[in-house]
Amino acid sequence: MASGMSWFSHYFCFLFFLLLTSTRVACFAEDEVNLLVIVVDVNPIWWGQQAQREPEFTLSKCLDGVMVMGNSHMALTRTNKLAVIASHCQDSHFLYPSKSLGGGGGAAEDTSSSRDGKYELLAVANSAIAEEIRNVLSKTEVRGNSTDTLLAGSLAKALCYIYRVSKELDVGQEIKSRILVIKAAEDCALQYMNFMNVIFAAQKQNILIDACVLDSDSGLLQQACDITGGLYLKIPQKLALTQYLLWVFLPDSEQRSQLVLPPPAHVDYRAACFCHRNLIEIGYVCSVCLSIFCNFSPICTTCETAFKIQLPQMVKPKKKKLKMPA
Amino acid sequence: MKLRVQLQCKNLHEYLRELGPDVLDRLYNHPATCLAVCRELPLLAKNYVMRMLFLEQPLPQAAVALWVRKDGQRDHDECVSVLTGLRLWHSQQLQGGLQGYILNPVFKDNLRIALLGGGKVWADEGIILGPDRHARDIESLDRYAMERWEVILQFMVGSPSAVSQDLAQLLVQAGLMKSEAGEAPYITSAGFQFLLLDTASQLWYLTLQYLNTAQSRGMELVEILSFLFQLSFSTLGRDYSVEGMSESLLTFLQHLREFGLVFQRKRKSRRYYPTRLAITLAAGVSSNSPSNMTNTPGTGDAGFIVVETNYRIYAYTNSELQIALVALFSEMLYRFPNVVVAHLTRESVQQAIANGITAQQIIHFLRTRAHPVMLKQSPALPPTITDQIRLWELERDRLQFTEGVLYNQFLSQADFEVLRDRAQGLGCLVWQDASHRAMVVTPQGHSEVKKFWKRQRSHT
Repeated sequence: MASGMSWFSHYFCFLFFLLLTSTRVACFAEDEVNLLVIVVDVNPIWWGQQAQREPEFTLSKCLDGVMVMGNSHMALTRTNKLAVIASHCQDSHFLYPSKSLGGGGGAAEDTSSSRDGKYELLAVANSAIAEEIRNVLSKTEVRGNSTDTLLAGSLAKALCYIYRVSKELDVGQEIKSRILVIKAAEDCALQYMNFMNVIFAAQKQNILIDACVLDSDSGLLQQACDITGGLYLKIPQKLALTQYLLWVFLPDSEQRSQLVLPPPAHVDYRAACFCHRNLIEIGYVCSVCLSIFCNFSPICTTCETAFKIQLPQMVKPKKKKLKMPA
Repeated sequence: MKLRVQLQCKNLHEYLRELGPDVLDRLYNHPATCLAVCRELPLLAKNYVMRMLFLEQPLPQAAVALWVRKDGQRDHDECVSVLTGLRLWHSQQLQGGLQGYILNPVFKDNLRIALLGGGKVWADEGIILGPDRHARDIESLDRYAMERWEVILQFMVGSPSAVSQDLAQLLVQAGLMKSEAGEAPYITSAGFQFLLLDTASQLWYLTLQYLNTAQSRGMELVEILSFLFQLSFSTLGRDYSVEGMSESLLTFLQHLREFGLVFQRKRKSRRYYPTRLAITLAAGVSSNSPSNMTNTPGTGDAGFIVVETNYRIYAYTNSELQIALVALFSEMLYRFPNVVVAHLTRESVQQAIANGITAQQIIHFLRTRAHPVMLKQSPALPPTITDQIRLWELERDRLQFTEGVLYNQFLSQADFEVLRDRAQGLGCLVWQDASHRAMVVTPQGHSEVKKFWKRQRSHT
């Protein structure tokens, strides 16, 4: 009988273990809200030039791609959430969810019923995005001196939004969020500091930053993706934007570990100096506040520490202390 | 010895796989079903579908296999089998003689319509309804859905409540209740297990049973499935028109009305409101997580139970039904206007288990109805309680039954040992006792052992 008993206890342990593991897995599977924030660069100057260079790929084509991406994300799982931010050179603007939609006015009522077989939620989202982008582009004027996209500001807004959503969750729910930047215009070294702050904030919150770059490589975004563990891709063909988005950026971080994806890009880790905003490889660093300068200056402009010019110091002979006998 | 019948709740995917290929193909004619099916796929398979959604040419199979990393090959194989099983993609010969995959064209077109539009309106609404004079807000819809659902559950526990003949029959067919001629139906052990499920699972279970019997009611399975999915993608608090619905669909709508899935003011009313139950229907099918409950505040019974490590249960509820459910596996101690106090004991839990309820179901019930305060800690239930409930269940499972063939009355110890060793060598020995010269072998090994014994005897 002894062998029978031991066999029984084995069975017992195994069953017990099985029960514990199975419940744990079930708890994790569906409790997750997956939030995707898409930041689209709508810099009017760049898109204007682009329309002249390649009339077949314009801002509206790009936004179509973004909508397809957004729709696919929201359609795949019930708990998936979406936000879209347009990053202009004057301000950054939420395209979806928009403020006007929250009020539930008459305009939203018209568009909410789907007239062409689209899933209603998606129909509402798309019409909101189209409406808002029209607003943004028609109302915002480009004033002379600032022509750079305010990408750092938009990213900060995205982080704030993610934080807000995570506060509003139900008990027991978890959130996994990522930011996808669709970048068109050139980098702006002026934003280096803000950008870095945003990146490190995102890293702390475990938020991925992905970048899909349309035109020229962006050093700042390369760093952002590298630090937060996101994907950086400069797409070779702008016209195929939608397919790149669906193939590379739609899978979330969990599925990415299973899929074969483009290899990480070479990262340009040069920092911008605080005095002229140039990207430099070697420079001067303030020993107090770690500000970076391309030229030596006797007073740090950030923390106003005065640096004494280093001279070969005379080592003063120390006075020998007399040991007091105890 | 009564074998315990475990209530099995299939998910949508398992259900679809059992349908015939022609039914599946017809199902994909509606964008809503395509979207629902797509949502239920494994994560990796979803990505496969999305990647191929806008391709017109078949992709070589070898190329598809390269999408995953080397260590993900097993997941890849699973995805391939799921997609092929649901007829979402077909193999096709490429020009160079290679095998390729292409998405089912009907499915592809309809999924595109669901995502991007460009098709027909889902329901033939024909006319646009004017504003409803008796418009319902979301709260009252939630309340209505919950009331309807409680009526069904209350009927099951035997309280007098008005339930239609159809529904009573459905409960009997589902095996949740039993009825003897001329008597009112009474609850079965499967019914007890059903009561302890969370609302989303209950709803899905009953819907599956309904679908199984749909054809015998003269209903078109594809038609009502499409309608069900369409319902689950509708917007809460909006009204929809019944215009253009067929006769059998209208009957189905009346049944849904009884389940509390849709709200219709009068039977002849031309508009209906889907409730939260309908909208979470397709969503809550595969998961059994507590989030279902927290996501659906409309189902009302979310979060009222506090369990302490001293085996006390405090249930903050007025609902007779909920109190009755708690009493299924615990001993009632005190009762106050808004709270009941119960005690989990070995006897009460074993009594429940004797009724066919499993420990897992009790724990699941407690977890899904846990008070928000309980949910803040992780795990929500005290581990001592969950472990103890499982141990109490295992106490009943001390015996393990195995079929076997007994060999005894050996004439000599040597005979016995020869045969025993042989059986052991074959790996079919279940039990042996040398002092009584008795042994049991499995039925599979029996013929082999018998043959050996005959040969052995003829030798000597």
